[in-house]
Amino acid sequence: MKKLAYYKGCLASLSAKELDTSTRALAPKVGYELIELDSVTCCGAGDIHEAEPDYYLHLNARILSYAEATGCDTLMTVCNVCTLNLRQANYQLQIDGDLRQRINDNLEQVGVPPYSGGVEVKHFLWLIAGESFDKLQEVAHKGLKGLKVAPFYGCQILRPSKLMGFEDPDKPSSLERIIEACGGEAVDYPAKIKCCGFPIIQAREETALAELIQPIEQAMEAGADAMVTPCPLCHLSLDAWQSKLKKQTGRDFAMPILHLSQLVGVAAGLTDSELKFRRHVVSVDPVIEKLSV
Amino acid sequence: MQVGLKIWRYDSKTGDRALREYEIDAPEEATLLDCLDIVKDKHDGSLAFRKSCRMMICGSCGMRMDGGAVLACKVRMYDIAQEGRVPVIAAMGNLPIVKDLVVDMDPFWEKMRAVDPYLKPRYDQAQERENVIPAPQMSVIHKESLCINCGCCVSECNSMEVDPDFLGPAALAKGMRFVGDPRDGATIERLEKYSEPHGLWDCTRCYFCSERCPKGVDPRDAIAKLGAEAMKNGIDRDMGAKHARWFVTSAKTTGWLRETELVPKTQGIVSSIREMKFAMGLAVKGKVPPPFPPHVAAEVHESRALFDLVKSQDRNGAAGIVQGEKALGRIESHHDASRGRDPYTEADSAPRPYLPSEREETEGVTP
Repeated sequence: MKKLAYYKGCLASLSAKELDTSTRALAPKVGYELIELDSVTCCGAGDIHEAEPDYYLHLNARILSYAEATGCDTLMTVCNVCTLNLRQANYQLQIDGDLRQRINDNLEQVGVPPYSGGVEVKHFLWLIAGESFDKLQEVAHKGLKGLKVAPFYGCQILRPSKLMGFEDPDKPSSLERIIEACGGEAVDYPAKIKCCGFPIIQAREETALAELIQPIEQAMEAGADAMVTPCPLCHLSLDAWQSKLKKQTGRDFAMPILHLSQLVGVAAGLTDSELKFRRHVVSVDPVIEKLSV
Repeated sequence: MQVGLKIWRYDSKTGDRALREYEIDAPEEATLLDCLDIVKDKHDGSLAFRKSCRMMICGSCGMRMDGGAVLACKVRMYDIAQEGRVPVIAAMGNLPIVKDLVVDMDPFWEKMRAVDPYLKPRYDQAQERENVIPAPQMSVIHKESLCINCGCCVSECNSMEVDPDFLGPAALAKGMRFVGDPRDGATIERLEKYSEPHGLWDCTRCYFCSERCPKGVDPRDAIAKLGAEAMKNGIDRDMGAKHARWFVTSAKTTGWLRETELVPKTQGIVSSIREMKFAMGLAVKGKVPPPFPPHVAAEVHESRALFDLVKSQDRNGAAGIVQGEKALGRIESHHDASRGRDPYTEADSAPRPYLPSEREETEGVTP
């Protein structure tokens, strides 16, 4: 069992608890012991980076510092936005000694241990599509039985590719490989790498919904039974805001949206209490029915 | 070498559209633009595309290759030809096509004009001495100054695709180029203007602009800097600014985002009441966590103290965003010092170019 520092972020702590429970249940099956960081805060989600940039850097340095204090070399994330914010700060702190010194001086003043730059931030997707892919193939024995799944990557796990770099940002394949390893069939559609609209869904709902409808519509046309995403923000917009698309267009897509850990979790035989599908706004029952036949 | 290209041909007068395939013989060092020249010279004189400098300076040859915007003169074809790939070449997105690979740039220039893309000096008369700006101050707008107006960022902007009125990444990056210029005197006026609807708060943060820019301008970073400058100057009436502000409040009070209060804090009470039915639908699924008791992070006093400390150090606004070579939009020179000589180490070589945000000893006032 490899030990990983686990940063669950805001959504998995609150409105997307199902992401947290399924991640915790799945991680040991693919070879990881998660050490949760309890005295950490929000990464700022790009918003603090914009409102108070220097504070953003300090908050993320603090998270990285507590991750380093666990003795782990990897900080695991389960959210695209956390991944970008933490990797961006980590990159800057790792390559710039003067910057790290300035931030560390401040961290120490408020009682936080200094960060030496010894942690890599990796999304759960990258771990299961990468180093533990063999394990995944072993545990995903309760297969998806040919379920047609549309992968939705979202933005901030692909771009900026200089900070991400796990796979080709224009032709990613990690989710497809996982879907197939779980016995599902990955369906392809152009909007899988585009924006779900979530960052502006409150401030500019009209624009966000016009973005959101594209992947759902295309996945539907490609014959998908469900969509899967590695990001709880994409999940929230795809799942919860579907009702607004229905109101706006009159079309009821009824497209079930699964977190990555739930999709693999289904194939790996996680229990209902770990998957918590009842917390979804769009019913996942059609998927369950299809798999139980 | 043999190069295969599939080119989307289009005629706006007739509406005819067709994907044509070309097989050409090109020298190994050929760029995509060189290959298009060969197609036009030797195979099909009716092919239309824009070009001028052929060296990534003029910004004329923006187009799409396999769905992603590129400068045709920057893309070398050797590796692609070796792999046997036949890329699909098309006109840029988000701009009307005139013919084949030529787009109508008028909407692009219209938005550029809308941000007043020129210096509005803070002084009335020409000064007696040259107005020297310390290099670190200029580093805030170093990347933005590199824009060549090619439109590659605009081509794939996800917000502009659904809202054609969005100012977009190129114009907003140009706006930041002047907001961050210490010689400019119209900072507040600009920030007010760029904060209007279809302005900086309409960016959906898809990062396609920064990914596509062939010059390392990193427009998303420019938009973040505009947001930071707007909020520093108290221009925060937009819902986008209020949304951002609430994350800061959350981080320093409870540590974690106070999700449930985010809607009223962003949209105001009246709008939130209109959203009640939608919110109830989410609440029954546990998607609206009760605000009381708040979910408080352990040791949250540290993040509170950090906030006060950071604020006292006065690195506010765009100055708080790490810039220069250390930022995201680093220009890829494709120069690997381990392969071949370093051109700046010899006795008679030119001085090493200034790179913003490098060590302090290289900074300071330019004489």
